[in-house]
Amino acid sequence: MYSKDIEDFLKKNNISVGDRIEISGEKGKFEGLLMPRVQGETEVLVLKLDNGYNIGIGFEGTEIKLIEKAKPKKPEKKHKEGKGEIAILGCGGTIASKIEYKTGAVYPAITPEELRMTFPDIEKIATIRSKSLFSLLSEDMNAEHWKILANTIVDEIKEGVKGIVVMHGTDTMTYTSSALSFMLQNLPAPVVLVGAQRSSDRPSSENEMNMLNAVYCAKKDIGEVCVCMHASMNDNYCYLHHGTKVRKMHSSRRDAFRSINSMPIAAVNYMNDRFEVLSKYRKRSQKGSLKASTKINDNVAMIYVHPNIKPKLLESLSDYDGVVIVGTGLGHAPTNPFDDRHARPLLPAIKKLIDSEIPVVMSSQTISGRLCMRVYAAGRLLMGAGVIGDGADWTPETAYTKLCWVLGQTKDMKKVKELMMTNIAGEISERSVMKEEF
Amino acid sequence: MKIGIEVHQQLNTKRLFCRCPSMLAEGKDPTVVIDRRLHPVFSELGEIDRASMAEFEKSKLFEYQAFEQSNCLIELDEEPPFPLNRDALMTALEIALHLNAKVVDEIHMMRKIVIDGSNTTGFQRTAIVGFNGYLDTSKGKVEIPLIAIEEESSGIVETKHEKTVYRLDRLGIPLVEITTDPSIKDGEHLREVAEKIGLILRATGKVARGLGTIRQDVNISTEKGARVEIKGVQDLRMLGKFVRNEVLRQEKLIDVIDELKKRKAYPVKSKSVDISEVFRGTDSKLIKKEMEMGGSVLAIKLPKHAGMLGKELQPGKRYGTELSDYAKHARVKGIIHSDEELSKYNFSEDEISKIKEKLSMGERDAFVLVVAPAKKAEAALAKVMERANMDYVPEETRRANPDGTTSYLRPLPGRARMYPETDVPPVLIDEKLLGETKERMTGSYEEKKKSLEKILNKEMANRMLRSRHLKLFEKLAADGIDPMLAATTIENTVVSLRREGFGLKDVEGSLTELFSEYKKGKFVKAAIPDILKELSEGEKITEVLKSEKLKRISGKELEKIAKENGLDIKKIMSGYRLRVDPEELMQIIKKLRK
Repeated sequence: MYSKDIEDFLKKNNISVGDRIEISGEKGKFEGLLMPRVQGETEVLVLKLDNGYNIGIGFEGTEIKLIEKAKPKKPEKKHKEGKGEIAILGCGGTIASKIEYKTGAVYPAITPEELRMTFPDIEKIATIRSKSLFSLLSEDMNAEHWKILANTIVDEIKEGVKGIVVMHGTDTMTYTSSALSFMLQNLPAPVVLVGAQRSSDRPSSENEMNMLNAVYCAKKDIGEVCVCMHASMNDNYCYLHHGTKVRKMHSSRRDAFRSINSMPIAAVNYMNDRFEVLSKYRKRSQKGSLKASTKINDNVAMIYVHPNIKPKLLESLSDYDGVVIVGTGLGHAPTNPFDDRHARPLLPAIKKLIDSEIPVVMSSQTISGRLCMRVYAAGRLLMGAGVIGDGADWTPETAYTKLCWVLGQTKDMKKVKELMMTNIAGEISERSVMKEEF
Repeated sequence: MKIGIEVHQQLNTKRLFCRCPSMLAEGKDPTVVIDRRLHPVFSELGEIDRASMAEFEKSKLFEYQAFEQSNCLIELDEEPPFPLNRDALMTALEIALHLNAKVVDEIHMMRKIVIDGSNTTGFQRTAIVGFNGYLDTSKGKVEIPLIAIEEESSGIVETKHEKTVYRLDRLGIPLVEITTDPSIKDGEHLREVAEKIGLILRATGKVARGLGTIRQDVNISTEKGARVEIKGVQDLRMLGKFVRNEVLRQEKLIDVIDELKKRKAYPVKSKSVDISEVFRGTDSKLIKKEMEMGGSVLAIKLPKHAGMLGKELQPGKRYGTELSDYAKHARVKGIIHSDEELSKYNFSEDEISKIKEKLSMGERDAFVLVVAPAKKAEAALAKVMERANMDYVPEETRRANPDGTTSYLRPLPGRARMYPETDVPPVLIDEKLLGETKERMTGSYEEKKKSLEKILNKEMANRMLRSRHLKLFEKLAADGIDPMLAATTIENTVVSLRREGFGLKDVEGSLTELFSEYKKGKFVKAAIPDILKELSEGEKITEVLKSEKLKRISGKELEKIAKENGLDIKKIMSGYRLRVDPEELMQIIKKLRK
């Protein structure tokens, strides 16, 4: 946005963004298209010159003349949804977006035509239909979106699609993948979440490889929610991860997504029809056996244990229906078993939450590894107070979405504990896999 | 004829969008090697013919070699860029000011789409810094409409069959691009302009020096021909030759086109034919080898083209070469055509007549054949047809060959495909930034020239102005060292010692040390080469000066020697040349004679 002075001036002179204007001042004369201001100083006009460059010219002391109004944009054609083997659902993110060169703005690309333009080879793999559900940044996704998404998937499966691909921002993708894993059980078709670490407006975006592999996987005999993302810094193959066992482990690299305490389902590359199975996975269930329990409780908090943490942080959570603690090591939080005079144990506050029927679930900051709360006094004391989680090898995110979902099914403390500790969607593994690197 | 030039100069700062040093990793093994693909991006303006582009470009794989010393995740396109390097920006602003340009009020970084693999991102980041500058030359004013700051591309290592290999140690080094208007008169003038821009850049003391740190692209358009950009001229002495050859090429090309028009050869319509069977059991090693590896021989008839493919356009390069350069874009090694001496490929008479038969060729027709895997050969012949149908001089970007000829690289980009680099925030050029820039600005090239001519003779002033050690010289002269002595040491002594095998590893450090000791009177001028020899072998100056061979003799000691030698200057100097200052000796003798 420009400053109020500039906006007023432009309005008065019937100049809008995209119009061809001439700016003259002490530095010379410039002709070009007036660009919108996305960031930075608001007293400087941004002009696109005919050579394609944008430059900033100070507004003060310049004379501005309208040369030509921008041609009005053609209205977008309404598109009809056809039949397709694979349904592609858009939840925002940058995997498929188009840039408007005039304004530099980015819009989601979602109609089948646009998807075909963005991914020209897509229909060599499968026929597609598509639907845009939301257009938002992935941090803004919440339980409401999960519900809408889950219900849409149910509808699409009823309509008879062979598989679902969900385009999603990467930041919170694994919350969504694990939440869907609990909400949609006995899937007769795979649900594959896919995103891109490099936005689609760059030629180097890995969106195409990820997307085409996701569509490729969506045709396979898989009955799980999974995540399909780059396996390495190379553009050579992707990993298909279990939806409850995957986490974003790097802020920017293409291969940010890693399977935690598990192997990926497979290493895949549609180009040479590679589907190299790396771990057991659930096959498609019989049609009609889909168990959709899309009720979910969004009143769940998650806190991160850290030195200096104060009991009052936990005390302030009494309005929540459930709490996930991201504890240290094997599943710990300050309990002060040795009566150190400086220590500030959380134990009484945790106890109070549990006593008032607010379940408290443990997970670990180490991300990798299993919770073993029997080993040290802290763990034993927390277990004694009723903290749930000993023996689980879930990620904090999966523990969180699971508690949201469980609390959508029941509020009975005993049942909550029972459900939490029952493996529902592969979130708790019986055996800890041995990998060279974890 | 119109000539313009673009000068690309690397800056001597850290990289433009990360904090890696702008250092090449010559001789080092890559730390990481990765394979990538690029694809054209969605354009609402429909600037890219997506379908054909995709077909053509997508089969391409790029290999990138990254080096621990020079690169980080940013060059690998695995991390978003840092904000624009302020040091580099100030240098670019300084250069703009030296070129009499106006400075933009705000820098907006753009993405210029380049999908030949030379940038891991698929685009080059570039921004206008200055505009409306000019240069005074012997043939009048040359306008400089544009000064930009941009990032260097990756260096190409090799083009393999299935992929192109690049090294990333050059990627992201800051570049300043200076573009003149097309008002340069001729080759000689072009050289003057290029040289002068080079001098102005070097006078700042903030640009990189050495092979490949400055590159020139020449824009030439002829009246009847077209605009052509010749990329990557490194040697200024070659500029004139490139201009002459390009003018010649366009003239000859027009002759060929006129003749083909006369013959009514346009539009060129033809279909490719698989003639592999002609070569079953051939004696042609070239064809045999390719066919054994699964290649096919595809050929195409060019009606009414007989004799035209062999017309020379540039020294050693024919019209057929132009077709071949296009074919190479489909990754074949080249083409074989009917105007060539086919016996050099060991084609038999029988084979040649069979080719003609298969293509139902008449007397005035020509053929082109390609041997490669069928799909590739097909694509190559499609490129040949695309070129053959251009009944005009095409606008092209051409590569500068070392021999002064050029080869087709790609079509000249139309309206630049640029869009904002949203990962890099705009930079406001406010009074503070401009003030800081002016504060650290060195004198202009003209000022420098004048002040050097005051303290050095004309020839040495000229050499110093071009020297990569200008800054060192200025420092020494300001320190009170005799300018001529400092200049000859830098430009003559150091250079001739290097030729003798006594190259200094750190010229600046060694000379600073040397002259600081010299000022203290520790040795005489004549000893400088010998001292530098020792320094080149890693000796410390303090140690070197302990040697009886080089330590200065003066005062009482010198008086004693003078007396011992009967005040014979010649005798004394021949015995103690390296240790005695002749002027001091003269004075002592004068004193003793009295």
